[in-house]
Amino acid sequence: MSELVVRMGEIAATQHAGDVLVGLGLGSCIGLVIVDDRGPVAAMAHVVLPESNGNGAAAGKFADTAIPQLIREVTAIGATRSRLSAVLVGGAQMFAAAGKLDVGNRNEQAVREGLRAHGIPVRAAVTGGNSGRTMRVYLERRSITCKQAGLEEIEIATWGSQVQMARAA
Amino acid sequence: MNLNDLQLDALREMSNIGSGNAATALASMLGQSVDLHVPTALALELADAVDAVGNGEDTVSAVIIGVFGDLDATVLLLFEPESASTLCSLLGVEGDPEMELSALGEIGNILGSSYVQAMGTMTSLHMEPYPPVAVSDMLGAIVASVLAVTAADTDLALLLDSRMTVDGTACKFGFLFVPGGAGVALLLDRLGLGEAA
Repeated sequence: MSELVVRMGEIAATQHAGDVLVGLGLGSCIGLVIVDDRGPVAAMAHVVLPESNGNGAAAGKFADTAIPQLIREVTAIGATRSRLSAVLVGGAQMFAAAGKLDVGNRNEQAVREGLRAHGIPVRAAVTGGNSGRTMRVYLERRSITCKQAGLEEIEIATWGSQVQMARAA
Repeated sequence: MNLNDLQLDALREMSNIGSGNAATALASMLGQSVDLHVPTALALELADAVDAVGNGEDTVSAVIIGVFGDLDATVLLLFEPESASTLCSLLGVEGDPEMELSALGEIGNILGSSYVQAMGTMTSLHMEPYPPVAVSDMLGAIVASVLAVTAADTDLALLLDSRMTVDGTACKFGFLFVPGGAGVALLLDRLGLGEAA
């Protein structure tokens, strides 16, 4: 099992069953994962801010540039465009009293709007609040988890299971 | 924006004077001397910034102080749990996590204000600290959320990192000054090392 840590502003995509995509310590940032509903294909972006305003150095850094790039990367490794869905974790307001630092809420809104515009449904989301979170995507068991500081890792979504395929059919 | 060695040296020296002032203020508050380690000035890719500070998943206590005025910046203090408890016990606060965070906030206030004041005097820039916010959470979430605010204009993260130790104790902590994108240029300009210089 190899962990691919997706750091601030980065994007990683994989179809290897042994891989685990990790978004470590997501505060106001959002770990945005796109999966193929039937296949072992997933990609994660570590989104830092809502809008690029044309400043497009790292696609993963901004919600508006990360979403099209995630779509390109998962479809390039075998995902089907019409079967994509998303899971998001993060967007917390880490510093309650420091108003100007509340990027988390704006990030979540931008990500949700972007996904809607691209016609990608949100499968699960653990967002808001005041705590940091770590997100892991286990390709082998097609499971996505979330963990807060000092708490247990909990499963927040699965994809590509028999049950979901039956429901979709 | 890229920074050369001369510019990084100047920023480190400025940080050294600011943190010296802060350490003196803390020492008089605690009635105990405070050692200041040689500060570092790191200009990093955004993606590398969290790892340069520590392990992203470690739980730490942090004090965040926004700075406004001529310059937007953030002062960030990071304490490992044991160091936070040690420091609080020096102030007579023990065993109550809420009270400990509040005491750390007060310490942060004193350190942050004296640091910012020294830098303001040195650069003739007007800088005011916001009230401190103290939290206990994952290091990565704290550092990334501070950097996010300044990340809009630049992929470069500038960290001025000073570490301090309270004499005769195991209490060590990190003291970071994180100027916003425009703030870096302004500081360099005042130090006579701006783009135009």
